Amino acid sequence: MTVLAEILAGLGLLFVGLRIMATHLQQATGRKVRRLLRGATRSPLAGLACGTLAGLAMQSSNAVAVVCGNLVRGGVFATRDAIPVVAGGNVGTAGLVFIAAIDFRLVVLYLVAAVGFTFHLRLDRRSAWREWMGVGLGLALALLGLDFIKHGPADIDVEALAGTLSAGITPLLAFGLGFLASAVTQSSSTPTILVVALIQARLLGLHDAFFLVLGANLGSGFAVLISSSGLAGTGRQLCYVHVLVKVAGCLLVGAAFAVLGAAGADPFALLAGAGGGTPTASVSVLFLLLQVAGALPVALLRGTAEAIAMRLSPPTVEDDAARPRFIDAQARQDPATALDLAERETLRLLHQLPLLLPDLDGAEAGDAQVRLGTWRGGASVALAVDHFLADLIAHGMPRESLRIALHHQSLLETVRTLQDTLHDFTEVIEGFEDVPPLGFNLSEALRAIVLSLADAAGAEAADLDIIITLAGDRSELLNRIRRQLAASALGSDVDTRQLLFATSLFERAVWLVRRIAVALRTPDNEAKREASVAADTDLKRVEADAHRA
Amino acid sequence: MHIEREQVGSDVLLKVAGRLDTPNAKPFEASLMEVVSTTDGGIVVNLAGVDYVSSSGLRALLVAGKAMRGAKRKLALASLQPQIREVFDISGFSTLFEIS
Repeated sequence: MTVLAEILAGLGLLFVGLRIMATHLQQATGRKVRRLLRGATRSPLAGLACGTLAGLAMQSSNAVAVVCGNLVRGGVFATRDAIPVVAGGNVGTAGLVFIAAIDFRLVVLYLVAAVGFTFHLRLDRRSAWREWMGVGLGLALALLGLDFIKHGPADIDVEALAGTLSAGITPLLAFGLGFLASAVTQSSSTPTILVVALIQARLLGLHDAFFLVLGANLGSGFAVLISSSGLAGTGRQLCYVHVLVKVAGCLLVGAAFAVLGAAGADPFALLAGAGGGTPTASVSVLFLLLQVAGALPVALLRGTAEAIAMRLSPPTVEDDAARPRFIDAQARQDPATALDLAERETLRLLHQLPLLLPDLDGAEAGDAQVRLGTWRGGASVALAVDHFLADLIAHGMPRESLRIALHHQSLLETVRTLQDTLHDFTEVIEGFEDVPPLGFNLSEALRAIVLSLADAAGAEAADLDIIITLAGDRSELLNRIRRQLAASALGSDVDTRQLLFATSLFERAVWLVRRIAVALRTPDNEAKREASVAADTDLKRVEADAHRA
Repeated sequence: MHIEREQVGSDVLLKVAGRLDTPNAKPFEASLMEVVSTTDGGIVVNLAGVDYVSSSGLRALLVAGKAMRGAKRKLALASLQPQIREVFDISGFSTLFEIS
């Protein structure tokens, strides 16, 4: 019973430790990893190297895939560029397997002591320390758990148990167990670390370990696919890339072992040799081999990998809407051009606003899912433009350009609020089983106003003047409608409340439309012209300085 | 949708009947723009026979309204049914046109 308790406690500590470590690692390194991945677009090998480093830093290939998914949707890089990074993320996770293969008992004890003292000294009050202390605590718990697993069976006849296990485990069963373990733990490295512990406890041989690790590797790919079944488009595409890496790794390593065996060589002896005669090191080498064998072909044949992923999970409306069309990180070098691009991106968001509202007229009210995807995608682009402008301001620019940048930021904030308000309004209207006449009038009126704003955005000042007039104050009218609504027993109470809410959202949306039209009207255009002149002057001065130098 | 055209002095009176919805908005806009481009005076659109107006119908009126503003001419609306007047008031379109 003590043996079972120690093994179970070890497993518990291992799982908790790995979870704590991964969470804190992502917090501690997330921003640096994002910065690192921005440089991953140069070549497939650069992407592979960046992905490996990211996987090493985060110790989770899933986390690397999630970050990549966000960067793709944010327009930082294309799905094609993300493929080598996701592939490399798998290679990086081998780091922990190598650490687990070291005899670390003394290190673990010192690590636990160090973490304990840092917590006692309340160093966790500083946020930078807190995350790394969390990483240390997670690692210490995981390694302590492994130590429990390794030393748990010390009181039993290990040789006899190992013999029984070896006789009972066929390669297919070992493969299936590995597959199952990775499906449960949602990771290929965790079952491999367990295999390392079982080898250290002399309960498992290299032959059985091989099939277990192979099964775990393949199983984690499918586990990711199942856990990501709620995703679609780009997010799901990168999950398929994950599966491709795992399948390719298993096929290539499995084929290599089969060919070597057929040629009369002993592949297991070669694997044992690769680990320097230490079985745990051999398992770590095998794990690394599987990741590299899978990652390299997928990264180098990223065009094919992309085609497969695209075919299995075509881009969604949200993916398309979430892709910025104008802003580009390289444009930051030239503030005037960058501001122009940011303005075009904002205008594109304005042109998309009518798509957020239902078209209640006629047979087609439109697809609610398309509207939702457009709203989410538009919000993502707005956020990307906001970050772009913030970066631009942080890098420094001439005073007039700064004024325009701040003006853009303010305009963008209003556009973002309008996006959310229109989405909320649509949800209310779509919530009615039968849209009441007032709901219909509000919806079609708002649609007409927003369509007019979309037409006027980027057009002449006279068109914006019309929008300013159109979106004038109508609080008196809406208050009258609200009073009538409250006095009448129109439909159910719920419908009345929803209609009252719709009038508030309508009023807010119209006010925001007016603010946007005013912001687009004159100051910005004037400032743009002035900035253009100022930018020319700056450029001439820089050129003159350069000439003098 | 049915549109009747009548010359009243220098102005043109358009009597519209039916639904100003998405399918009818384009032909309605084309009729209005044809009058805008072929005449010099004001235009009065009588909407007494219109019992339904959607965002597309409002937009068609706005396009014609902009063209008339640009030419410094007047586009007026007349005889709106109460439910149609409510749509114009809520959408703010009644601030853009003279309504009688």
